[in-house]
Amino acid sequence: MEFLKIDGVRKNYRDVTAVGGVSLSAREGEFVVFVGPSGCGKSTLMRLIAGLEEVSAGRIHIDGAEVTHHEPAKRGVAMVFQSYALYPHMNVRENMSFGLKMIKTPEKEIYQRVSDAAAILKLEELMERRPKELSGGQRQRVAIGRAIVRKPKLFLFDEPLSNLDAELRGEMRGEIARLHKELGVTMVYVTHDQVEAMTLADRIVVLRAGLVEQIGTPADLYDKPINTFVAGFIGSPKMNFMPVDVVEVHPQALRLSHPALGLFNMPSERTGAVSVGATLSLGLRPEHLMLSPDALLDTLKIQVTSDYVENLGGSSQFYTWAADGSRVIALVQGRHTANKGSALEFGIALSKLYLFDAQGHAL
Amino acid sequence: MIYKHFGRLLHLLSLLLFLAFTLFPFYWMVSSSFKDQTDLLASPPVWTFVPSMAHYAEVWQDEKVFAAIHNSLIVASATTFLAIVLGAPAAYSLARFQFQGKKDLWFWFISNRMISPIVLALPVYLLAQSVGMLDTHLVLILIYLSFCLPIVVWICTDQFRSIPPDLEQAARLDNANQWDIFWRIYVPLGVPGIAVSAIFSFIFSWNELLYALVLTRSNVQTAPVIATSYMSGYELPWGKIMATGTLIVLPVTVFALFVSRHMVRGLTMGATK
Repeated sequence: MEFLKIDGVRKNYRDVTAVGGVSLSAREGEFVVFVGPSGCGKSTLMRLIAGLEEVSAGRIHIDGAEVTHHEPAKRGVAMVFQSYALYPHMNVRENMSFGLKMIKTPEKEIYQRVSDAAAILKLEELMERRPKELSGGQRQRVAIGRAIVRKPKLFLFDEPLSNLDAELRGEMRGEIARLHKELGVTMVYVTHDQVEAMTLADRIVVLRAGLVEQIGTPADLYDKPINTFVAGFIGSPKMNFMPVDVVEVHPQALRLSHPALGLFNMPSERTGAVSVGATLSLGLRPEHLMLSPDALLDTLKIQVTSDYVENLGGSSQFYTWAADGSRVIALVQGRHTANKGSALEFGIALSKLYLFDAQGHAL
Repeated sequence: MIYKHFGRLLHLLSLLLFLAFTLFPFYWMVSSSFKDQTDLLASPPVWTFVPSMAHYAEVWQDEKVFAAIHNSLIVASATTFLAIVLGAPAAYSLARFQFQGKKDLWFWFISNRMISPIVLALPVYLLAQSVGMLDTHLVLILIYLSFCLPIVVWICTDQFRSIPPDLEQAARLDNANQWDIFWRIYVPLGVPGIAVSAIFSFIFSWNELLYALVLTRSNVQTAPVIATSYMSGYELPWGKIMATGTLIVLPVTVFALFVSRHMVRGLTMGATK
């Protein structure tokens, strides 16, 4: 059952198309993450769902009802803003009660709902404080509490963790995941951080320049990205791309060549569209590159020249150059060093390779 | 080390000097109101004296003074009240709504203050006379409003603009209608600006002399008019003038002290981030 349905939604501002024809759906209780670089339209899309902006075209349905032209308050959604947007002249209790007061809920019920939400978010000690007396993480929890209290059908989070420091971010990520499990409410979450997307989402929607690039589970997006954009966006550090030439085409495999890789065979199901002499893009994830020179079966060897190594404590990030000038970054376990200009050899399992055509589509 | 202390001492001295310069007229007026006639006119001036209530007794007996203060209170309060009640919503709409002609409307408000008041004195007099509104509270209130409203709008628009727009969006999601948003969010957060413009309007209306002189006869003479009405003839009743002046300054000072408590800085801290 499609709980949230977005159909051909567009949003234009004068001559700028912020959202250009997006269609997607979410099931009830699902945690959907909109992810993409700055300016890709993810926040605009969220505001269209919330009703804070009017759509230029398209339709939005929530829980079976069309809400395309409904006021925000009539859509049954609650939103946690990037800036929290707490009412500074009210204390925590008043902030959380505001929405219920506006719909004339009886005092006793307001008190009960606010207390319940405060208990879930561990805010009981802070109820009389004003926002300026709270820390960033506390303000965030109040913003979430204000949304919970309204018992919405749909929860919207607009980059809620971007203003927190790294440690707090990790902690709050866990809180949000726990909240989702406890409440079971459908949640739509916007972020530019792919780590948040990968860890929190049931499904991820990758957006670029106002259009959907791919929708799928975190595993889908990681294992089977449909183009180089998604492949490069998901996974940190970014995937390495190396141009390879097609030497031979066989029904089940391609023979490819690259100065740093030599000649090698790569199994592929879609060889029909490939012609000899074409240039394809080979994708290698930094975390799949191994430093071992042992000749394991089905391993591709890569010859590179070292630039520098970043020591991350338990792992090392190698920055290297291949013979044709391609940048190759590798993330290897353990503490390693390498002199600038020294020759290194990495190995990667053939099964972990990605192949993209000249237009960037996955093969 | 020495220079630092010397610098601070100099700084302190110059501040004291400035303070003395600013406050001296008030001191002179208040102290003179308590001096008897001989001490008042003594030259060189007398600094220590036995206070006398004679001038205040004189003022008390002159019912025109209290009537004038009463008129000033009515006019200034009404002007301030109307300026805020009309100006604040106008400021909100200028700050947050999008509509055609907004820039022109804004400029029109501000341009009202660009004209020198004396230029309009005669036309306003003729206008008031033709509709029979001379010597009424209403005519003063209306004229003063035309001066105070632009300032209220100017200050409050700026104040409202500085309120994060996220708050309004959060309120919309919370099912607040336009009125709720204005009354429950913008007004409480805009209190510093509203307070400042209220003080300004009150002081302006209280001290205004030109139009009060032009438009009033005997019924609604305001305090400044009465105070200056003594300034004729050869023997100026200085004591009475000083006492009247002190009485006139009192309500405004009380009002300003009271309202300035609401000019709390940093009221919107903690709303965002």
